[in-house]
Amino acid sequence: MSQRSERRGIHVDQSELLCKKGCGYYGNAAWQGLCSKCWREEYQKARQRQIQEDWALAEKLQREEEAAYVSSHSSSQTQPPQSHSQPSLATFSKFEEKKTNEKTRKVTTVKKFFSPSSRTAPKKVPPEKESEKREKEKEEKLQGRRESHGETLLRDLKGIFTQPWDMGSPTEESHEGKTPSPSITRQSSIETDRVSRDFLEFLKTLQKPGREIHKQSRAFIESMGNKKDLSAEELSECVQDFYQGMSDRLLNHFKGSSEKVDRVMDQVEKYIMTRLYKSVFCPETSDDEKKDLATQRRIRALHWVTIQMLCVPVDEEIPEVSDSVVKAITDIIEMDSKRVPRDKLAFITSCSKHIFNAIRVTKNEPASADDFLPTLIYIVLKANPPRLQSNIQYITRFCNPSRLMTGEDGYYFTNLCCAVAFIEKLDAHSLNLSPEDFERYMSGQASPRRQDDPAAWLQSGSRVNPALSQIHHNLSVLSNLEKRQQQVMEGAQSLQTELAEWQDSVAREVQEILERYPLEIKSRASAIDAENVENDRLPPPLQPQVFAG
Amino acid sequence: MTAMRVDAKVVMLGKESVGKTSLVERYVHRRFLVGPYQNTIGAAFVAKALNVGDKVVTLGIWDTAGSERYEAMSRIYYRGARAAIVCYDLTDSSSFKRARFWVKELQNCEEHCKIYLCGTKSDLIEADRSVRQVDFHDVQDFADEIGAQHFETSSKTGKNVDEVFQKVAEDFSSCALEFMQEEKGVDLGQKKDSYFDNCCHN
Ligand SMILES: Nc1nc2c(ncn2[C@@H]2O[C@H](COP(=O)(O)OP(=O)(O)O)[C@@H](O)[C@H]2O)c(=O)[nH]1
Ligand SMILES: [Mg+2]
Repeated sequence: MSQRSERRGIHVDQSELLCKKGCGYYGNAAWQGLCSKCWREEYQKARQRQIQEDWALAEKLQREEEAAYVSSHSSSQTQPPQSHSQPSLATFSKFEEKKTNEKTRKVTTVKKFFSPSSRTAPKKVPPEKESEKREKEKEEKLQGRRESHGETLLRDLKGIFTQPWDMGSPTEESHEGKTPSPSITRQSSIETDRVSRDFLEFLKTLQKPGREIHKQSRAFIESMGNKKDLSAEELSECVQDFYQGMSDRLLNHFKGSSEKVDRVMDQVEKYIMTRLYKSVFCPETSDDEKKDLATQRRIRALHWVTIQMLCVPVDEEIPEVSDSVVKAITDIIEMDSKRVPRDKLAFITSCSKHIFNAIRVTKNEPASADDFLPTLIYIVLKANPPRLQSNIQYITRFCNPSRLMTGEDGYYFTNLCCAVAFIEKLDAHSLNLSPEDFERYMSGQASPRRQDDPAAWLQSGSRVNPALSQIHHNLSVLSNLEKRQQQVMEGAQSLQTELAEWQDSVAREVQEILERYPLEIKSRASAIDAENVENDRLPPPLQPQVFAG
Repeated sequence: MTAMRVDAKVVMLGKESVGKTSLVERYVHRRFLVGPYQNTIGAAFVAKALNVGDKVVTLGIWDTAGSERYEAMSRIYYRGARAAIVCYDLTDSSSFKRARFWVKELQNCEEHCKIYLCGTKSDLIEADRSVRQVDFHDVQDFADEIGAQHFETSSKTGKNVDEVFQKVAEDFSSCALEFMQEEKGVDLGQKKDSYFDNCCHN
């Protein structure tokens, strides 16, 4: 990236700017070096190809599934040949899923775009896009090829909002660059396929119950496809009923031990929720998104809350502690990237373990609930995790309840809910502040750290928040500049007075000299004759005249 | 991640520093907290398996933050709990007032949650009777009134500690049977339109 922009600044080879298809128009790096027209064609082709591939894969999977069961139960029943006579379930649900993918992805990317916790990736991209875009616009004007302003704007927006940052891991991002590419959707469908395969593998070990579990899970997913308009609570009830019915049946009908049933149910949850995720996470029928934004704003408004106000027993000066704090923050943010409720829970648990470690190292004794909750609140405030409310709701609605309610994961999850509730309700009293101070901090009129002496404030500021420390840095640079400006002004002024003085002194000197040597014009003794040009016009000299007489 | 399978959720409730954490610590790790302990990770959540007759019951014991600033959130904690051990300090009458408050909360919000009243630090009373601020019989009357069990424990000596949790496990185990049967009865009537009734006839 930097290389390219550098090159752009210095020198651009004409041939590099042209569309790689050789159509004669200018290409653009954002479109893999194609011009907009060729890019659109390419993109469409790739999408088409991918949809076909997906269908093919789905059908293949379907055939595999069937083959697997026919072979393991060949004697038991007659199996109607399904693969061609009717469109298979898997294919259908996949297609459905894809459609919703498209729809929800746009929403979530926009959301991501505004969330501060995704600051690392997207923040840098748009401005660069901007400059590229302007470049591009210039080129186009040169070419005499104009698009209406609205059209360009739309295209640019698309370019910005279809960044792959919400799906890919960092490595994928660097591979694909900033290209809005069909392989984004590809990525998620690959994951779905992998989960489906794993599920099948797992069920094969279960013999007869495995077949029934599979059949019912698939039928359930399909039935959920028709229930898009249900409220989030109704969706949750459907899924919970399914879990309940399934585990009852495994316990009673197939006489599984409760450990075994738990294991099976974990797999069922993974399979079902991986497939349903896109349609039931933050569904349009709920106000989850609104709550997400509200929480995010709230946390941002509380940026001034300090460790001391919350009575958090961690000392980030200790390297191991600050390390654990960073890991805890990373985990709670990572939670958003998982699809299966239990996987999300696992991240909350992992975050909590890091918190416990931070407390234990700081206090040199085991942490208790009194230490844990405030520290978790602190971590949530620092992390401002993306879509926090949506995630909490999603876990509550779709996690297998036996895990959620009683176990260790449930404990940490409950604490997270408490932390969020605390942050929502937080007031002056809960931070041991006066209402006036609280108001002033909330409105940004004052910062709690201001009251210390400025040097300490600067130091602690750099530890507390990178943005703050940046501000401090900028402030000091500014004040430095001001000082230097003043110096320049003073210098200029003294130069001016010096100049004026010099002028005066020169004048004085001149005067002096003038006075000392007054101007006297001496009359020169000149040879008159020589100068007398008109001598000849003089009347002739009187000649002696002889008088005869 | 292999989280232990837990049968029942048990929450510890009570005013700050009445000895909730100490009670759990004593029960689970057989020790009393004085001075720093190394190499142990916190005691906020512990899963503990107990024998009840020929069965094993695993209690998930939830310690809670006692500070008043988190009081508004306490409902989130005890949601779904099957037992609550409400602690008060025998040498601090105000802590018993708080205990009454918890009891009322639980009665209002968690009807399936059994309540165990637990007076802590009984070793202090034994050393000096004059420090007792909460009368045994008063509490017993209150316990009878609300249908709760009542214990006086010492985390320092370990007195009565095991008994509390053993009782919790026993009650759960006998109650679980009833509860399950009761649920089943309701199930048949209510879940007519559930997924399984519709789709499972093969
Ligand atoms: N003598 C005595 N002290 C206790 C007992 N239980 C707790 N303590 C002390 O009471 C204080 C608060 O205990 P803690 O368990 O942290 O209370 P929590 O806030 O309810 O968790 C600690 O200093 C304990 O050592 C007990 O049974 N006997
Ligand atoms: Mg405690």
